[in-house]
Amino acid sequence: MAREYMDGATAIVRGAIDAGCTFFAGYPITPATPILLHMVRELPKVGGVALEAEDEIAAISMCIGATLAGARAMTATSGPGISLFSENIGLAIMAEIPLVIVDAQRLGPATGGATTGAQGDIQFLRWGTSGGYPVIVLAPASVAECYTLTLRAFDLAERFRVPVFLATDKDMVMNMATVDTEALKRVPVRERRLAATPPPQYRDPRWRPEETFLPWAFEPIDAVPPMAHFGGPHIVRVTTSTHDEHGFLTKDPAKVQRLNEHLWRKIMDHREETEFAHYDPQEGADVLFLAYGTPARAMREAVRQARAAGHRVSALTLHTLWPVPEGILSFALRGVRRVVVGELNFGQYTREVERIAYREAARHGVPAAEVIGVYRVDGLPLHPEAFLKAIT
Amino acid sequence: MAVATKPKVTPKIYKPEFPIDWCPGCGDFGIVNAIHQALARLNIPRHQVAVVGGIGCSGKAQYHVSTYGVHTLHGRPVPYATGIRLANPHLHVIVVSGDGDSMAIGAGHFVNAGRRNVNFTYLMFNNEVYGLTKGQAGPTLPLGLQTKSLPEPNMNAAVNPLMLALASGYTWIGRGYSYNIRHLVNLIVQAIEHPGSAFLDILQPCPTYNDLHTKEWFAGEDIGHGRLYDLQEEGYDPVIPQDADEDTVRAKLLRFIEKAQEWGDRIPIGVFLVNKNIDMYEERINRRVGNYFETPPAVRPLADENGITLTDLSPIFDEYLMT
Repeated sequence: MAREYMDGATAIVRGAIDAGCTFFAGYPITPATPILLHMVRELPKVGGVALEAEDEIAAISMCIGATLAGARAMTATSGPGISLFSENIGLAIMAEIPLVIVDAQRLGPATGGATTGAQGDIQFLRWGTSGGYPVIVLAPASVAECYTLTLRAFDLAERFRVPVFLATDKDMVMNMATVDTEALKRVPVRERRLAATPPPQYRDPRWRPEETFLPWAFEPIDAVPPMAHFGGPHIVRVTTSTHDEHGFLTKDPAKVQRLNEHLWRKIMDHREETEFAHYDPQEGADVLFLAYGTPARAMREAVRQARAAGHRVSALTLHTLWPVPEGILSFALRGVRRVVVGELNFGQYTREVERIAYREAARHGVPAAEVIGVYRVDGLPLHPEAFLKAIT
Repeated sequence: MAVATKPKVTPKIYKPEFPIDWCPGCGDFGIVNAIHQALARLNIPRHQVAVVGGIGCSGKAQYHVSTYGVHTLHGRPVPYATGIRLANPHLHVIVVSGDGDSMAIGAGHFVNAGRRNVNFTYLMFNNEVYGLTKGQAGPTLPLGLQTKSLPEPNMNAAVNPLMLALASGYTWIGRGYSYNIRHLVNLIVQAIEHPGSAFLDILQPCPTYNDLHTKEWFAGEDIGHGRLYDLQEEGYDPVIPQDADEDTVRAKLLRFIEKAQEWGDRIPIGVFLVNKNIDMYEERINRRVGNYFETPPAVRPLADENGITLTDLSPIFDEYLMT
């Protein structure tokens, strides 16, 4: 067993490099700065490029540009930086850019509590750009999971050509823990699907491959088109505007509808591929504890204490927040009388759980589980007592 | 299709079939033609060029060059260009951006790109107005002027793009005119060949919304002689040689400032600065990475056939190991 004492930032950087990240751009912001510093120090050692941009907008723009040219890119920030990312997140969705964005959450709103943890960005990450199109959000609950879910984030970004967020927080990124590095769960590196190489005449300047190759064609509608890197054999055009299969701006309603439906369905029709969680069931339990991120640690201790005191309690740690892992949730909600959701916000995810609980109850003709949210927004971690008090 | 042994490159190669929606007489046509001609003269294959545009009439220029193209967000083409170039330093990257895109919303990126000196070509379409949104005052419109769309005279002073480029650290600075295509092609060719960030301010009359600084105004119809003159024809030498001493550099900069301030009846165009004293960012990366140009991020192999990373992180993280 190789034990290492490391923080979440180190685990994320390690996961990123193992996932084949070759480009990083970031801007200093507490508590995401350690990721920037580690990347600037470590990425060049493995042949990658990491740089400190002039602001968050430049950071994410550079990452998107680098991805177009063939790199695998990641950036990291906190809530205020996510605000500045907003427009570019939209572009990354529109131009189908695989990208990993780490959000080390801190207490908001605005500059808020720069050095205190929180989970106030959970709905913001999902709805943080115009249009309402889906993104994927993963949330590690331990330093080891910071490693694995970073690999997973790169994998899903490539699978769906979409920005994938890693929702962490100050305590997750900066607190240190002992990790058995040999037991770390790995995710194989997914090869980027590239457009088939055309015949060698592409080097003939008179050849016009764009007349035959359609970089933005998808068939069926939920298929993810292959990428064609700048400098490679295909000439492609990338645009922030609603576009046709050539990448030219279009206002044709039929093409606009099909493109937008594609951006939705390529993820939502395959949401089962995005659902990850850790479920700890107990036979006969009618109480379910539910958490994600840092509060999941308090939850695990609460489960131990509750069971020791003779209560029957199941526990669900969500690793995927968006799309809402409805399959996992409806499974875990079966036979449950009460759900206790612990969050470092005013119940941003509690409402999603409530939504699923009501829908499942209606579907099965049974009373809906009572969903109780336990919250804390003073910058300090949730304690196990918060869960325990809500059992009875 | 047969492959010719020595394909002849003509400007037409770079011209795609995409409908142009610029106004008749727009200066942008001249710039796009000049880009086609410059690429043809340099004989650069289309798949080795990326044109990156922002938002505005200028941002649409990338649709009219048949190479890789990105239509990015308002004010953001520079960081996109930076990312593209750093991921693949074998690409020729050209930014097409307006005065609003560059000097207003994107000014922060403009300044910081100068600090890095990444090798790209920055073409700024300077017409002093926001044409696409129907003629609001741009950041290069002088104080007190009132173009036809403005309800009141401009209350902001103009930024001087050449001075800002100098202060930011651009290592090649020039100014062209969109109706002098032959001259403009020469400038774009030099800008592309320059190893570093090359900034070309292109005076580009907007026939629809700028009724003050028009084609006729630049032609000096009101004063009896053309306003524009070529710096190089008057013997101005823009080059700061490699390893130039402090006095030489200072003298060059003072001369630059003098020329960059000229406006009114005599407006200089041409090459203002070629600073060979500063290396490009890619060279700085290469000194850290070693084989950067051979295996840049875009082409680095990532994993073996089983999806297992090729990267051995153990030496990097040794400091965290507990014994």
